[in-house]
Amino acid sequence: MRSGTRAMRWGVPVAAVAVVAGVVAAGPVIAAVQGEPSLPRRTAAELLADAAEKWQSGRLPQMSGTIVETASLGLPALPVAGGATSPLGLLSGSHQAKVWYGGPDRLRLMVPDEMNENDLVVNGDQVWWWDSAANTATRIKGAPDGAGRPDAVPYTGTVTPRQAAEEALRAAGTDTEIAVGEDATVAGRAAYQVVLTPKDAGSLVKEVRLAFDGETLVPLRVQLYAKGTAEPAFEVGFDSVTFTPPAPENFAFTPPPGAKVEEATAPPIGRGPHGKDGEPGADGHGAAAPRVVGDGWDRVVVVSLPKRFEGDLAGAADRAKGGRDVEGVASLANGMLNAAAPVSGEWGSGRLIRTKLVTALLTDDGRLLAGAVTPEVLYAAAAAK
Amino acid sequence: MSSHETLAHAAPLRAAGPARAAARLLASETALTFRRPRHLAMLAVLAVVPVLIGVAVRIAGADGDAGPIIARVAGNGLVLAFASLSAMLPLILPLAVSVVAGDAVAGEASQGTLRYLLTAPAGRGRLLALKYANVLIFCLAACALVAVSALVAGLALFPTGPVTLLSGTTVPYAEGLLRAGLAVLYAAAGMAALGALALAFSTLTENPIGAIAASVVLVVVSQVLAVIPQLSALRPFLLASWWNAFDGVLRAPMDTGRMGTGLLVFAGYAAVSGAFAWARFTSRDVTS
Repeated sequence: MRSGTRAMRWGVPVAAVAVVAGVVAAGPVIAAVQGEPSLPRRTAAELLADAAEKWQSGRLPQMSGTIVETASLGLPALPVAGGATSPLGLLSGSHQAKVWYGGPDRLRLMVPDEMNENDLVVNGDQVWWWDSAANTATRIKGAPDGAGRPDAVPYTGTVTPRQAAEEALRAAGTDTEIAVGEDATVAGRAAYQVVLTPKDAGSLVKEVRLAFDGETLVPLRVQLYAKGTAEPAFEVGFDSVTFTPPAPENFAFTPPPGAKVEEATAPPIGRGPHGKDGEPGADGHGAAAPRVVGDGWDRVVVVSLPKRFEGDLAGAADRAKGGRDVEGVASLANGMLNAAAPVSGEWGSGRLIRTKLVTALLTDDGRLLAGAVTPEVLYAAAAAK
Repeated sequence: MSSHETLAHAAPLRAAGPARAAARLLASETALTFRRPRHLAMLAVLAVVPVLIGVAVRIAGADGDAGPIIARVAGNGLVLAFASLSAMLPLILPLAVSVVAGDAVAGEASQGTLRYLLTAPAGRGRLLALKYANVLIFCLAACALVAVSALVAGLALFPTGPVTLLSGTTVPYAEGLLRAGLAVLYAAAGMAALGALALAFSTLTENPIGAIAASVVLVVVSQVLAVIPQLSALRPFLLASWWNAFDGVLRAPMDTGRMGTGLLVFAGYAAVSGAFAWARFTSRDVTS
């Protein structure tokens, strides 16, 4: 009897664990039970045309929401994981930003970090970049009026959005298959999915999925799948979104007293050398401007490197202590070089770095080739000189 | 010693309403907690650290790699409260809370006073609730002490006036104070979740050092897990990774979403630990 009540008492913590686990799992389970939403069918051309029409008229609905960016490119572990606004930091892990959109010329993008925040505030002709860690407000000059306007509509010269969409589809159709995928739920909203599948066999990209809100046709999510993986290698999309006008104070920015006020032509994001996939960037080490070889998805970036490139990278940290990414770039480069496999062929010899999405070849004659392609494509590009 | 005093208060109150009896018990328990030399020494450390941070910023200046928030202290003394909470929430505050909560039951057991305490008519469940209420009061007092000490030091060492938030928005000093109060409440909630965990450990052992050490080790381990990039998927489930989300009060608009999630995590930890502690405490044989 007594032992029986004792056993019952232990049921309480078990129940508590069950309740907590239930709350944690509630989101995915509810989503799984609800299944995929079903929206009225639309073809890819109709979808793109309708989306382009909304974009061109500048009538995107006012909205605010949280954007989450997740990258799992399979890079070697990054010992220095940079901040949320550094290009290096964005290459691994998950990052969050908040966005408020109040019209073509009113936008606020906020990147929170622990005890730190960066803001991009666009209000009419005023564009500010605020860095709370540096206590610096940068007024961005020369920004086109209405810098917040999504300027991504291609073929603006054509007459109607529908024609533009058809033309875009035809242009892309040579190397890309465009289809409408299953409807998805993004940020709790039913969304159309457009799936772009590369036709080039040499591409490491399996497909790119674009999700458009079913009601407003606002793009809600972009997912990039590498071949042979079930999870997206790169994903950026809304975690939560509301289509209501944001509070006006979001767009009112005045530099706080005591802050440094600077002027620039571009936001000083991620100061220091550019650190993208080991590309040396234009930081004055004598690297020639990168060229692009090939077309479509098989595009390969070729950079001629100065001599003693490795020593350069390793020593970069000592030379430029000011940049906050420099050590990250140096350690990333070292990690990459250590992970590189020596390869050789008719094109010469060098070292190959493979990640899920990007392959890079560092040839012994001082060229760096990189692209979202298989090594064979890089070898061919290397042989072509 | 502690439970003798507790008993002395409790015994004559048998006739009074149970709520009043519980209040009296809690009052005496709290008085004991805040009178213990060990706890007083801890509280003194908690009060001194913000002053040290303030003096260091004052002497060394805000330049260099001081960290983003520390650099702001020189501009406004109120920011010292947030900087101190940010500096002390990862380890110093959890340590203090672990000492008090880990000692709550195991301390009585090790002194041989637990069985006397259990002769009081309060019942084991209520006694445990009382112990946890005491831990809650300590958590709130510890966090408030850090903030108040930082505020006083900030007033003495740095200029005051409108406060610049992380978002670059400037709010009046009074609103800054209000936001500091919210940060204290959030931090106290985070500490209370850890307190429930330490209390659960405390019911497992008769050795208070064991319970305290277990709680502190858990804090340190979860901090280590939180910085390993390969384990980033684990981060949202770790208690320690939500403590510093109090910085949501420093944003405009206030980041209530993240703080709300943090409070839910705290509630989850407290519920599971509390239920575990209750099951253990009400079913175990008290021999000492």
